[in-house]
Amino acid sequence: MTAIVRADGLVKRYDRTLAVAGVDLDVAEGEIFGLVGPNGAGKTTTLRILATLLEPTAGDAEVAGFSVRRNPNEVRRVLGFMPDVFGVYDDMRVWEYLDFFGRCYGLTAASRKRIIGDLLELVDLGDKRTAYVQGLSRGMQQRLCLAHALVHDPAVLLLDEPASGLDPRARVELRELLRELRVLGKTIVISSHILPELEELCTSVAIVDRGRVLASGRIADIEQRLRVGAVLRVRVLAEGEALEAARDWFAGQPDVAAAVILPDGTVELGFRGDEAGAAALLRAAVAADIPIATFSRAASDLEELFLQVTGQDDPVPGEEAAA
Amino acid sequence: MTGATLLRRVPRIAMPGITAIGVKELRGRMRGKRAFVSVTVYVVLVAGFAWMVGQILESNARNQFGFNPVFNPSVQSASIGRGIFTALMFLQTLMILVLAPASTAGTISSEREKQTLDLLAVTPISSVAIVVGKLLSALTWVFVLILASIPVTALVFVYGGVAPDDVVRGYAMLFVTAIAFGALGTFFSSLVRRSGAATGLTFVAVLIATVGLSFIWVFMYQTSTSVFARRPPEALFYLNPFVAQADVACGVEGTSGAWCGVIDTVTGTFVDFGVPVTEPVFRDGFGEKGLIDVPETGVVVAPDGGAVIGGVVVEDVVVGDIFAPDAVSGARDRYWPRSALTLMLLAVGFTAAAVQLVTPTRRWRPRLPGIPRRRRPGRSAE
Repeated sequence: MTAIVRADGLVKRYDRTLAVAGVDLDVAEGEIFGLVGPNGAGKTTTLRILATLLEPTAGDAEVAGFSVRRNPNEVRRVLGFMPDVFGVYDDMRVWEYLDFFGRCYGLTAASRKRIIGDLLELVDLGDKRTAYVQGLSRGMQQRLCLAHALVHDPAVLLLDEPASGLDPRARVELRELLRELRVLGKTIVISSHILPELEELCTSVAIVDRGRVLASGRIADIEQRLRVGAVLRVRVLAEGEALEAARDWFAGQPDVAAAVILPDGTVELGFRGDEAGAAALLRAAVAADIPIATFSRAASDLEELFLQVTGQDDPVPGEEAAA
Repeated sequence: MTGATLLRRVPRIAMPGITAIGVKELRGRMRGKRAFVSVTVYVVLVAGFAWMVGQILESNARNQFGFNPVFNPSVQSASIGRGIFTALMFLQTLMILVLAPASTAGTISSEREKQTLDLLAVTPISSVAIVVGKLLSALTWVFVLILASIPVTALVFVYGGVAPDDVVRGYAMLFVTAIAFGALGTFFSSLVRRSGAATGLTFVAVLIATVGLSFIWVFMYQTSTSVFARRPPEALFYLNPFVAQADVACGVEGTSGAWCGVIDTVTGTFVDFGVPVTEPVFRDGFGEKGLIDVPETGVVVAPDGGAVIGGVVVEDVVVGDIFAPDAVSGARDRYWPRSALTLMLLAVGFTAAAVQLVTPTRRWRPRLPGIPRRRRPGRSAE
């Protein structure tokens, strides 16, 4: 597979802040590539450089072989971009919105008509065709914005925090939609500060912090490489001493770094093992007659993950300066 | 790329984008009753004003001369017609000075405020298309208003005194005013992030261009004590469309009247100017118009080739009124074409600057003191 999105030592400097400090990326065709990092890590800046909205201070990036510096117009034709924060026009109907962007890409009237129908079907807004854009729910606007980024059938999609502000159901729908797009052969670069959100979706990720790529590759590999344990939540059907006994049992198991009882009665485990290890732990717990109601991996927030890795408790200095 | 190929290529690249922006903008602006109501209100205001001016002029005519049909009523009627026409042009100039900047001052900044500009900027649509498309569609609305007023203005033909080409001149100047001050609004709209601030700055600029510069001229004129001092440059008035309309009104007057007097003063057609001569020519009175026939020797010639018509000899110096050969008091189009050209050049300049400001990856960025550049709370470096 060839790289369809490449970044080569991208640097973006604002007045005093180094927002992106030499980012290299290599995204193969057909991938869903996640860009993960805490707020202020340089994800948005990187995506905006790829989308030709910002000029890099140094370095270059290529989308489908076109340089964002030298051929921004060709780049714009092959990519669709959905910013993290976007607005909608007042006084515009859903089909007019898509029609407008179709015109911007120079599509003919006939092809616009066909594409608008197809896209509204794809993002499940077929019945909202003549509704006003500002009257749509946040999730619908998000899907419409995604549809607008697809009017010209781009090979590459750049999505900046597409799931932010969506309720769980809309998130699931968005995820399904992105999977569908991947089947259609699109390469998708997506940014998020929540690792689990990408875990289920992405084929590979790059973890960025303070403008640098700390690691990139498949998620499982990265987690392994960073040696970061997962947090397991175990709901034990017991109270008082029985619960404490269960906790002590867990604490005694290999790969369990710590076990605490949360106020709601859940036992939380710091777990160093992989998924097979978790399965083994569950088997052992059942064998030990511990009444387990639920056993799940807690969502591990990336910022927490970074603090663990870097051992810093104070906020990331770059973040404040960048904000 | 040479200038010629640039001229050929830019429209071809920009046109589809201009159409796209135009269709989108006009759909929003012309939807529902808004456009219909605004045109109606505008025409009613203009017509009501014209009617009132007509009433005032008619009653003045009666009071001054008595309503006596024998006293050449056609002359009086023509003078009423001219008065209404001039009043309409001034009123519309005033309204356009407000409406054109107001309708463009929010175009770009509202895209920034609503965070929709990025969505546009990642399409292949050029910044030229964004700015020109938005400017044209905003101006379309003003143009519709101006055109809708033509039937009202045409009513002055009932009174007479105004020729169709006078109306063409007046309306040409109105369109130029709309374009120039619309472009000014677009410029500030792309310079400043907030629509409110853009509107405020635009109107400050409108005030400076019209009242401010003109007052500087008046100040320079009034404080120059010597008749030998240079006249303040008429260019100070070029951005003031009222003065251009005064020239149009002067053309309607035909012979020297009050508005021609204004233009004479502005252009220096009457120059209080001393010219040393060896054999002074003396002509009395101001009755004669046009170039006078003067002998080859001893001609009182102004530096720009004008000749003295009337004046008094003060020793070796004639203090009189000097007419440039092509600018005789009461002559047509002495002044407003220059003003119109300046305003159009300004419109092109402001539009080009707005294009530059909209381009996301421009290298050149103006830095206003105290305003950090491209900073938005919490997301600039994310």
